Amino acid sequence: MTKIKTFFSTLLKKEGTKTVITSLWCALLGLILGFLLLLFINAKEAAYGMTSVLGNYLIFSNPQDRLNYFGQTLAKTAPLIAMSLSILVCYKAGLFNIGGSGQYSIAVIVITFLGIGANMPWYLTMIVAMIASMLWAMITGALKAFFNVNEVISGIMLNWIALYITNGILSTNSIVWDSPHSEAFTISTTSNSYIPSIGLDKLFANNSIVGLGMILILVVVVIIFILFKKTTLGYELKTTGLNSDAASYAGMNKVKNVLIATAISGALAGLAASLNLQNGFTSWRLSSTPVDIGFQGISSAFLGGLHPIGVIFSSYFIVHISEGGSMITDLGFSPEVASIMTSLIIYLSGFVFFIKELLRRHEIKLEFAKATRGKEGQA
Amino acid sequence: MIVLLSTLSFLLAFVAVLTITAFGGMFSEKSGTIALSLEGCMTFGAFSASVVMFLLPSSIPSGISALLVILTAIIGAGLYSLLLAVACITFKANQTLVGTALNILSTAVSVVLIKQMTRTEALPVGNSRLNFTRFYEIFNVDLFGIQGVKFNWLLLIVFALVPIVYLVIYKTRYGWRLSSCGENPSCADSLGIPVNKTRYIGVLLSGLFAGLGGLLLITMNAEWDFANGANGFGYLALAVLIFGQWKPLYVFLGAFVFSLFKTLSVIYPSIDFLANLGLSSYFYLALPYIVCLIVLVFTSKKNAGPKAAGQPYDKESSR
Repeated sequence: MTKIKTFFSTLLKKEGTKTVITSLWCALLGLILGFLLLLFINAKEAAYGMTSVLGNYLIFSNPQDRLNYFGQTLAKTAPLIAMSLSILVCYKAGLFNIGGSGQYSIAVIVITFLGIGANMPWYLTMIVAMIASMLWAMITGALKAFFNVNEVISGIMLNWIALYITNGILSTNSIVWDSPHSEAFTISTTSNSYIPSIGLDKLFANNSIVGLGMILILVVVVIIFILFKKTTLGYELKTTGLNSDAASYAGMNKVKNVLIATAISGALAGLAASLNLQNGFTSWRLSSTPVDIGFQGISSAFLGGLHPIGVIFSSYFIVHISEGGSMITDLGFSPEVASIMTSLIIYLSGFVFFIKELLRRHEIKLEFAKATRGKEGQA
Repeated sequence: MIVLLSTLSFLLAFVAVLTITAFGGMFSEKSGTIALSLEGCMTFGAFSASVVMFLLPSSIPSGISALLVILTAIIGAGLYSLLLAVACITFKANQTLVGTALNILSTAVSVVLIKQMTRTEALPVGNSRLNFTRFYEIFNVDLFGIQGVKFNWLLLIVFALVPIVYLVIYKTRYGWRLSSCGENPSCADSLGIPVNKTRYIGVLLSGLFAGLGGLLLITMNAEWDFANGANGFGYLALAVLIFGQWKPLYVFLGAFVFSLFKTLSVIYPSIDFLANLGLSSYFYLALPYIVCLIVLVFTSKKNAGPKAAGQPYDKESSR
């Protein structure tokens, strides 16, 4: 019995457990506030609307439909995980990657041309896309490293520049552009650039968007986990992030680390684009603001406690409620309700640091009290 | 002549939007809180004003309704900015994260509620685009009585504020206190300046100013699609603030340079020389951002920003 008790008390003291608990609290509170908003908009349908948001594929009664939409939710989670990792890598190195949208859309250009125009093998399309967005992200890195330009501002500017470049290049090329629908052609499942589904589609009622991509992203998660846990490079990036002066004093090259961090995160944003477009589900649409996924990545990276494993769950959660949100339009709610919920959750997760700090101070006080009591006993 | 005059009025309106919003950001950043949520505050101010514009019956005299709309925009955005203040000043949250969240939140809330307002039998989901032609007529008058040249008189308020803001920042005790809280909060604290209170006021001012900027932005048109938020103007204002080096007059000049390029993207087809170049319209859309990035390269080396911006002030840890 005492064993279990000590097990739980050590578990509670662990940093990871605290992160999980506070993240869950934020999610719950965000959902409750979102529900209040639904009540305000349409009190009669609010409960059903909330059930759809939370239930997503579960609201279907036909098991085949359920499986199908479950597969779709999972497949859409993969790119968001990649984007979250992109935010995470930069954040660990002390940089805030707000330019994910721009990096993503640069990769979209490459994927659309290589996939639709050249019908290249999927892995080549993916690799070239990752390189393109890596180079784009390194503009931010280079501006930061050599000219001290704040990465948030340059990231935002590059988002808009990339948006207009992407709109401009794709919409004026009839090979890749489906003018009547004002969107690019979608990579078909028979294309060479389609990421093979290696039989996984069979598990999800023949939903062809489920495939190798999902396994690929898990491998990438593990790589990023190992990078920060076991490698010198990861250690250097983290140290630069914690205290760049101390890092340079310890002989770490700050310029190099900033460039490497932005390069990795750019490549990951490119991977997000690749996982999103190369499964034959969607394509680039004309957009007048930078794409959402870059900002959703920020949300899920922080909700996942900035931990590679954590972002798997937070990304799934965000996609789950967004997909659920897109199902409530027929109730007269707009799908942006889900976006309200996620942004509320992120707003609330800003408070997490404060709560953790309080817990830490409380613990120190307790330990201090224990220690002084011990001394008195000795005397 | 008409083309030239309407170009000028476009230009001045852009200058005014960017100046007023960047001034707001200046109060916030000078006091030590990063003003990333300007975009969100603009959107929210514009949204609150639109709700009033939508609901006000046309029987109310235009003078009074205009005043109501202006007040709602300012107060709405001011209240919204307090969300940033509470999280970042009292609860010491990561300012970039909270700013980003607030930007997404205000667009999402506006879209959901505007769609709700515009729902009809025929259009059960509603439309995120709101039309307010009546108020467009109220806020925009014919310049010198010339037909076809519209002039938004809200920008007169903005230009009147420029010297006032300059004086407040440099010549008043509040302005000095504000800067001291952003430069060295513990020193300010030791002199008896209430750091967190000063910062709250700074953030609140940023909201009030951004609200006016948001209203001016949307009333340059007769309708606005809230799905685009404030169309990135809040971010542009932030960039203007940085390359204006947090100084009122430089910010004003920066807004001017930037607006020149922004105006170009609107009017280039009517300039023969530019139209003949045959460049894509997307190039002109991207141009202001490219120029901004280049200017930042030259102005960022010497970091002139408030030294403690982005760092929450904690009495206990600075003891």
